[in-house]
Amino acid sequence: MITFRQRIRTAAVAVLTFSALTACGGSSGSGNDAIEYWLWDSAQQPGYQKCADAFEKANPGLRIHISQYGWDAYWSKLTAGFIADTAPDVFTDHLSKFAQYVDLKVLRPLDDLGPTSDIQDGDYQEGLAELWKGQDGKRYGAPKDWDTIAMFYDGAALKAAGVDPAELQSLTWNPQDGGTFEKLVAHLTIDAKGVRGDEPGFDKSNVKTHGLASEGSGGGGWGQTQWSAFTGSAGWQATDKNPWGTRFNLDQPELQDTLSWYFGLVQKGYMASYEEIGGANAIGTDKQIQSGTAAMGLSGSWMISTFSKLTDAGGKKLDIGIAPTPIGPTGKRASMFNGLADSVTTLSKQPENSAKWVKFLSDEECQNIIGQSGVVFPARPAGTELAIAFNKNERKLDVTPFTQQVEEKTTFLFPVTTNAADIAALMAPRFDAVYIGSSPITSLTKLNGQLNDLFKVAQ
Amino acid sequence: MTTDTTPPVATALPTLIRREPAPPEPHRLNFGRVLAWTFMILVILVSLFPFYWMLRTALSSNNALYAGSDNLLPVQTSGGGFERVFGLQTGQEAIDAGGAGQAINFWRYLFNSVVVSTLITVGQVFFSAMAAYAFARLQWRHREKVFAFFLAGLMIPAIFTLLPNFVLIKQLGLVDTLLGIALPTMFMTPFAVFFLRQFFLGISREVEEAALMDGASKVRVFFRLILPMSVAPITTLAILTYIAAWNEYFWALMVSYTDKSRVLTVALGVFKSQTPQTGPDWSGLMAATLVAALPMLLLFMLFAKRIVNSIGFSGIK
Amino acid sequence: MMATTTSIEPVKAGPARKGPRDDTRLALLFILPALIGFGVFLVWPTLRGIYLSFTKFNLLTPPEFNGLDNYIRMVQDPVFWNAMKVTLYYVLLNIGFQTVLALVIAVMMQRLTQRTWLRGIVLTPFLVSNVVAAMVFLWILDYQLGIGNTILASVGLDRIPFLSDSAWVIPTIAFINVWRHVGYTALLIFAGLQTIPDSVYEAGRIDGASEVRMFRSITVPLLRPILSLVLIITVVGSFQVFDTVAIATKGGPVDSSRVLQYYIYDVAFGRFQFGYASAMSVALLAVLVIITFIQYRLTRAESSDLA
Repeated sequence: MITFRQRIRTAAVAVLTFSALTACGGSSGSGNDAIEYWLWDSAQQPGYQKCADAFEKANPGLRIHISQYGWDAYWSKLTAGFIADTAPDVFTDHLSKFAQYVDLKVLRPLDDLGPTSDIQDGDYQEGLAELWKGQDGKRYGAPKDWDTIAMFYDGAALKAAGVDPAELQSLTWNPQDGGTFEKLVAHLTIDAKGVRGDEPGFDKSNVKTHGLASEGSGGGGWGQTQWSAFTGSAGWQATDKNPWGTRFNLDQPELQDTLSWYFGLVQKGYMASYEEIGGANAIGTDKQIQSGTAAMGLSGSWMISTFSKLTDAGGKKLDIGIAPTPIGPTGKRASMFNGLADSVTTLSKQPENSAKWVKFLSDEECQNIIGQSGVVFPARPAGTELAIAFNKNERKLDVTPFTQQVEEKTTFLFPVTTNAADIAALMAPRFDAVYIGSSPITSLTKLNGQLNDLFKVAQ
Repeated sequence: MTTDTTPPVATALPTLIRREPAPPEPHRLNFGRVLAWTFMILVILVSLFPFYWMLRTALSSNNALYAGSDNLLPVQTSGGGFERVFGLQTGQEAIDAGGAGQAINFWRYLFNSVVVSTLITVGQVFFSAMAAYAFARLQWRHREKVFAFFLAGLMIPAIFTLLPNFVLIKQLGLVDTLLGIALPTMFMTPFAVFFLRQFFLGISREVEEAALMDGASKVRVFFRLILPMSVAPITTLAILTYIAAWNEYFWALMVSYTDKSRVLTVALGVFKSQTPQTGPDWSGLMAATLVAALPMLLLFMLFAKRIVNSIGFSGIK
Repeated sequence: MMATTTSIEPVKAGPARKGPRDDTRLALLFILPALIGFGVFLVWPTLRGIYLSFTKFNLLTPPEFNGLDNYIRMVQDPVFWNAMKVTLYYVLLNIGFQTVLALVIAVMMQRLTQRTWLRGIVLTPFLVSNVVAAMVFLWILDYQLGIGNTILASVGLDRIPFLSDSAWVIPTIAFINVWRHVGYTALLIFAGLQTIPDSVYEAGRIDGASEVRMFRSITVPLLRPILSLVLIITVVGSFQVFDTVAIATKGGPVDSSRVLQYYIYDVAFGRFQFGYASAMSVALLAVLVIITFIQYRLTRAESSDLA
C-alpha cells in the first residue's frame, strides 16, 4: 500500500528531478552578465576573490564569477570551451601555452580594448610585460605576477651538519668539481648508516637523506626548478633569441657539461633518482624536505607559502630557510624569470567589460591585495614590496633571495616560442632518459635537430 | 572474517544438512585445500587492503603523512580530510592543510550524481533491452548485419566521440545540465545490447510461442514475458551501468560548469588535480574518494546478495 | 562480421513456428531509440573522425584536406610504433594474468565455497573508478612513502620503483587494472560455471578423476563459450587503457608506458594535431576489429561443448 507520505515524497523527487533537468538549461559559461574568470591555483583563489569583490564595488552592475580547475582539467576544459563557445571571458594564462593560443586566434589583443589599451610596460617588474606580446607586437596578456628560483633548506639538517646558514649566501658551482655548492650537498647527504657524503665509507646506493632535492628531469619546462639556475649561470641560452626563437642550443657544451654534472649528482648519491621521487608523479622539493629525504632543494617563489607551513610527523613546524641560487662559471648567479598574465578570449560576449576586469587585476589596488595575501609576488613593484613585508612579518621568512635576482638583474626569461606543446612533447621523454641514465647526454644533440626541424616544417 | 575462513572443518559435517551443491571430497582436509584457502585469503586481502588504506589516509593529517609514511594506523588522526570534502573548513584553513579550499556543496552533488546515474541506467537498459529483443527474437532482413555493426561500436576509441559529442551537446543547449551529461549514454551502449541479446537468445522459445498462439502481440510478449523472465541479467546490467555512470569523470567534467550540474566525481576531482606546484592533498583526496564511493558501497552492501546472485548466464552458448 | 555464426541458433530453435514472419516494422520500432543513440553519439563522430584523419586540423580553424599525410607520418613515427608495442604488451599481461586469475577464483568460488560474502568481496574493487584505483595504487606503491615499499624495506628487501622503472611500469599498470576487474571477470566466469551440470562432475568423481584433471577435461571445455564472450569484452576494453596511465605515469618513464590511447590523447588535446590523432585512432579501430574477428573465429571454431 502506498501511503500518502510516500506519494508526496515521490512527487517531490519527480519535481526536483524535473527542475534539475530543465531549469538549468540556457545559461552556460559566458552568456549572462557575470564576467567568467578562470584560474588553476586554488591557493590564489581567496586573494582574487577579494579583488573581485573590490571590482564589483567599484563597478556597480558588473559581476565576476571565478572558477578554479586543477592544472590538467583547466587546459582540457579551456580547449573544449574554445571549440564549443563555452570558454570564460578572462583566464589566467601561462607562457608555455599562450603562443599556441595566439596562433589559434582565440585571444583578443589587449591594445584593441579600451580599458587595457594604455597598459604600460614600465609599471611592472622589468621585462615581464614584454613577455606577453605576440610576434605581431600586440599585447595578449596583462602581467599579474612573477616568480624566480631559490634554494629552500631544512634548518635542522644544516644545524646537524654544523653548517652556518650564512655560508649558503655565497656558494659557487662549476661543471668540473661542483665547487663549494657540491661540497655542501655532499656534506648534507647522509646514508642509511649515518655516514655523510663527504666521509669515507659513504654508501651511495643506500642514501637516507640527499643533499639536494630533485624535481625531475625538467624536460617539460626548460628545467625551471631543476637545472635552469645552473645552465643560466653557465651563460647558456635556450634559443637563438627570446622570445620567439627558432633555433635551439641543446647541442652546446655549456648545456651538456652542466647537465652532465647536474644529473651526475644522482650517480654520486647526492640527489634523488627518478625512481626515488616517484617518476611521472614526482613529489616536489617541499615533500622531500618534509619527509627527510632531502636537506635542501631548488624551488620557485610560488611555493613560499607551502614551505612555510611544512610540519614534521608530530605536527611541529619545520625550520625552513631560503638561500639564493649558487654563483656559476660566469661569476654571477642566475634565475629563470617567469610570470602569469590574464588574457581575454575572442569568445567573450563582453570584451570591454572583460578588459576592465583585466585592467583591474593588473592595477595597483588588486596587486596590493594579492601582495598582502603572500602567495605570489605581484607584477608591480609596490605589490612585490607588500609580499616581502608579509613574509617577513607574518611568516618570519626572508624572501630576498628571490627578489635580489630581480634587483641585481641576474634573471633570464622563460624561453617563449611557438610550437611549445610539440617542444615539450619531444623534450620531456628525452630529458627523462638522460636523468634515468638510459641515454647519454649527447643524445640531446639529436633532440636539438628535431626541435630545429619543427620550425623548418612550420615556416 | 576469521570465523568465516574456517569452513574446512565445518564441511566435515554431514553434507545432508547443506542446501548448497555438495562440496567436493568433504572429508579430507588435504594439502590442496589448505593451499586453495591460502590463495583465497590472499585474494581477499589484496582486494580489501586498498580500501583500508584509503580510510587510514583519509583519517590522517595531510601534512604529517609524508613524515609518518610507515605507520599502519592513521598518523595524527584527524577528520580534516573529511571536513574539507564536506566543505566544513573555510577556504584558508583548507589551503593551510594542503587542501583545495573550495566549498563542496555535497548534497547537491550527491543528488546530481543520483539523477545522472539513474537517467543513464533507466534509459540505457530499457532501450538496449528493446534493441536486444529485436536482435534476438524478431525476424527481419539484415538483422545480423545491423547487429554486427552495433557490435563494432564496442571498438570505437573514445577519442573520436568526445569532441563531436561535446559540440552537439552545446548545440542542443544542454551544456551545464544533467541531461547533457546523461544523453550520450542514455540510449544504448554496444555492450548493453550485446549482453542482453545473449540472454534473450537463451530464453526458451516454447514459452514465447505459446503466448503468441494465445494471441498476444510481440510487444506484449516483450513486456509481459521477456522482461520479467530476464530480471536477473537486467539487474546485473543495470548495476554495471549504474557503477559506470556513477564513476564517469572526464565527460561530466567537460559538460559541467557550475554547481547545478556538478556531479560528485567532478566535485571531488578538485582534490585530484591540484596545481602542478603542490603535492596532492592525499588525505583530502582519499576522503573524497571514499565519499564518492560510499553510496556505491552502501548500495552494494545492502544488495550484495541479490547483485552477486543475479550475475548469471541462463543460457549463453 | 561476427554475428553470422551466432545467428544460426534462433533459427534452428523454435519447433512451433507459424511459418516465416517478417517483423521488420516492429523491429525498427524496437531498435529505433538505440539506433538514434548509436548513430548520433557513436557512428557520426566516428565517420567524422575518419574524415578528419585525412586532414590537417587544429581543432579551432577549419580542417584542410591533406590526403594520406597523416598516415604516412604515422608509419614513420617511432613513437607510434612504440606505443603500439607497449599497448600490445600491456594487453597480453593484463588479459593473461586477469583471465587465469579470474578462472582460478571462479573455480574456487564454485568448488571451495559458494558463500555470497566471498563473491561480494572480490567484486568490491569494481565499485571504484579506474581513476580512483590508479590514485590509490599510486599512493600505495610510491617509491619512498608508499606502504607497499615501506613493507618491502622493513622485511629487508629492496624497494621497487613500481611506477617509475621502465621494466616494472607496464606490469604494475596491468596489475592495477587486474585488481579492479578480476572480481567482475571471475563472477562472469563463475556464472558460466554454474551452467555446467553437477552430474558431469559427479560422473568424473566416480571415475576417480582428480580436481585438476576435472578442471582440465570438464570445466575448461564446457566453459569455452563464456570465456570467449568474456575475452572479447575484456580485450577490447584492455586496448583502450587510458585512465590508469594518465594518472599514474603520464606515459613515462621516457616512453615505456606511452600506450596508444594516451599518445593519441596527448597529440589531439595537448598538441592540437587532431588530424594525426584521428589517423592513429583509425589504426587502433582497425587493430581492434581484426583482433576481435580473429578471436571470434578461434574460440568459435573449436567450440565443441555441451549442446
